[in-house]
Amino acid sequence: MTATDQSAGDAPRAAQDNHDNLLIFRLEGEAFAVSVKGVHEILDLQSPTVVPNAPACSPGLINVRGVVVPVFDIRHRLGMVSGTEHASSRMIVFENVIDGETGRLAFTADSVEEVHETDLSSLEPIPELGAIWPQACLNGAIRLKDELVVLLNTDALFAPDSVDDVAATRGA
Amino acid sequence: MMEQAVAAFVQEARDLLTGLEDQILELEGGSTPGQIDEVFRILHTVKGSGGMFGYTDLAKFTHCFENAFELVRSGTLAVGPDLIELSLEARDLMVEFLDIGSDGPDSAALLASDRSAKLMARIEEITGGSGNALAPGAAEGAGGPAAGPAPMTRFEITFRPHKDALRNGMRPELLVRELEDLGETDIGFDLSQTPALSALEPGDACLGWHVDVMSDCGRSAIDDVFIFADEAALTISEEVLEPAAETGGSDLADAGSPAAGAKPAAPSQSPAAGRASESIRVASSRMDAMMDSLGELVIAQARLDAVSDSIGDTNLASVVEEVQRLVTGLRDATLSIRLLPIETVFSKFRRVVRDLSKELGKDVQLVAEGGDTEVDKTVIDRIGDPLAHLVRNAIDHGLETGEQRSAAGKNPRGTVRMSARQEGSEVLISVEDNGRGLDRDAIRAKAIEKGLLDEATDLSESEYYNLIFQPGFSTAAQLSSVSGRGVGMDAVRSMIDALGGSVDVVSRPGLGSRITLRLPVTMAIIEGLRVRLGESIYVIPLSTVEECVEMSAADMESRSGRMVLQIRDQMVPYLALDEIFGQPHSGQETRRVVIVRINGNEIGLVVDDIIGQGQTVIKSLSPYHRDIPGLGGATILGDGRVALILDVATLVRLALKRGGPTLSKAA
Repeated sequence: MTATDQSAGDAPRAAQDNHDNLLIFRLEGEAFAVSVKGVHEILDLQSPTVVPNAPACSPGLINVRGVVVPVFDIRHRLGMVSGTEHASSRMIVFENVIDGETGRLAFTADSVEEVHETDLSSLEPIPELGAIWPQACLNGAIRLKDELVVLLNTDALFAPDSVDDVAATRGA
Repeated sequence: MMEQAVAAFVQEARDLLTGLEDQILELEGGSTPGQIDEVFRILHTVKGSGGMFGYTDLAKFTHCFENAFELVRSGTLAVGPDLIELSLEARDLMVEFLDIGSDGPDSAALLASDRSAKLMARIEEITGGSGNALAPGAAEGAGGPAAGPAPMTRFEITFRPHKDALRNGMRPELLVRELEDLGETDIGFDLSQTPALSALEPGDACLGWHVDVMSDCGRSAIDDVFIFADEAALTISEEVLEPAAETGGSDLADAGSPAAGAKPAAPSQSPAAGRASESIRVASSRMDAMMDSLGELVIAQARLDAVSDSIGDTNLASVVEEVQRLVTGLRDATLSIRLLPIETVFSKFRRVVRDLSKELGKDVQLVAEGGDTEVDKTVIDRIGDPLAHLVRNAIDHGLETGEQRSAAGKNPRGTVRMSARQEGSEVLISVEDNGRGLDRDAIRAKAIEKGLLDEATDLSESEYYNLIFQPGFSTAAQLSSVSGRGVGMDAVRSMIDALGGSVDVVSRPGLGSRITLRLPVTMAIIEGLRVRLGESIYVIPLSTVEECVEMSAADMESRSGRMVLQIRDQMVPYLALDEIFGQPHSGQETRRVVIVRINGNEIGLVVDDIIGQGQTVIKSLSPYHRDIPGLGGATILGDGRVALILDVATLVRLALKRGGPTLSKAA
């Protein structure tokens, strides 16, 4: 309830100045961003409890302060090979609406860089190069210090299945 | 503050309207003056507090409805099927008013809508037009037992709201306006207790009123105005101006209103006020927060236990034991707060059964038993839909038509019985009908047609009945007309599975069927058995565990082809959990088998080791993992790790499917 109220309240403001704070993180050297509004906290890596027969996009569970949170494999969803852990790897706990329910999930990033305020009207469509990732998961790109940062569409990114199929067929 | 008061009004009004539905349905079986008074009291309360809290459109509509019962109360109008039908419709409309919210264009539109206009017109038809005016008071006079109006009386009223009345949402000006509607008024203020401006608290009620009312409305109408001004200092004296029969007084006595004469703090002994002192209303979000904290406390306690064990200090151990005892007590007390009588669910079905039996032209009697059985709030919230399915099926498909029943030598009136009772840590809720029973042959034919069963195999009675829960049967409309059942039964089962319960069917041809839902009393914290499988820990709900036995590699070897285990003189099908969960075989020499039982079916679950038992706080799974067969939830262990809780009902079905020689592969 509160989440809907909040987003309803945010909508007009976003329309006015179209500014948003983005959390920028890296995967395989590429810079990605999600809106900081959904970010709940950032944790050191934890080893998840493996859920048997789980979908590839969410293989396990972790305990975040007494709350059981599913771990989301963002690499799989984006069609990347599963990566190795780095000393700089972090888990981002993100609050999102999944299947009509507000819930938290955690995903691993190779490193978390910064929070950056961005004018969303400067969002550019993803250039050809970016098409290696499923288009539905991307909102666009912004240019930051001569680098392209890919803004992720968290609703599609964290959807339980649909996009998974797309990724699977692409992989095949 | 005001918002809280309004929210409290809406909540109370909802409860009252739920009660009203019951009361009206009771009237169907004959009415007593007490019941009529209760209906009247409810309507009056909703009208009165509705007006006070900004639901005047609701109040206006209710007023019209109330008039009818005023006439019934006075004996002028008899309760008939028309009035009951009308009352139910009117009640539904009142609920809609509540849903819309306080006065605004929407509520005005509803009040002006065809539906409410028609309803009001029909009510007026019944009441003989005596309740036509929307202004309160106009019809109240008609309530007197005498045919003529009450005598013209001068009422002298002094009225001083309690200091906190405004904060509690009272609107004295509306009360005064109501008095104005009753007749000619002379209004004066009593400023004697108004403090100096510097000492004035804006939220305090400091004013008093002197109101003289000249009216023929009768004393009860005046009392009714102040029915909610419980804490106000109130005196009412009356002086009859015209000689007439002493009607007002006797009306009062009938209605059980406070006796005539000056009486401060008038009707404070209303039943509602009496109940308020026994219970408090708590927002369920607060309960949930409390449950969460308790859950964490239980987890922290498990951790404390583990630490204490590793230290091995006896002083520490005794304190830990003491804490354990207290936590258990706190847990039980908290869980008991969440328990509600199942009656709250059952009572809804009286209306469902009534409407459905009219719609289908079947005479059906609903019997509800064990309504005082207490169940966790989560169960109460979610059990409504599955039960509705079952009740609908029982009436639609289970019960025959009146002629068919008579022809079969049965009472033409069918019975649907809902009952609940507690058995250990489970609650059994059953829906039973005395109709035609399940048609085994039709189920078999359908199962073969659907490819769930092959022609050669035959099943036991209960196995046939369990087929109705197969998803394939849910759309089987033709079957339902032949043998009954089949509509949405798989939905029923999945909802019950989600609650950690199970479903059981018993049916006797020609005599009826009974479907029993077995549900855990509490959903939040259970006793669990922790088992190890490779590196992972799983929790099995202890209520399903029968026993644990050892299993040597040789046993597995010799039986691997059949997946059946001999326990004493019984052959029990088993599942190797590592295989089900796609984990590598641990290769351990001696393993253990946990024998679990659900619905009378026993199966073995093969695990590597049994670790121990303890309180388990159930956390539900996210949408990513909810549909994985065999998993019922997650919990946090003493060491902070997450462990999965097994859904034993699903595993049992899986094992029976594999191990049971009778079902075909497709099933």
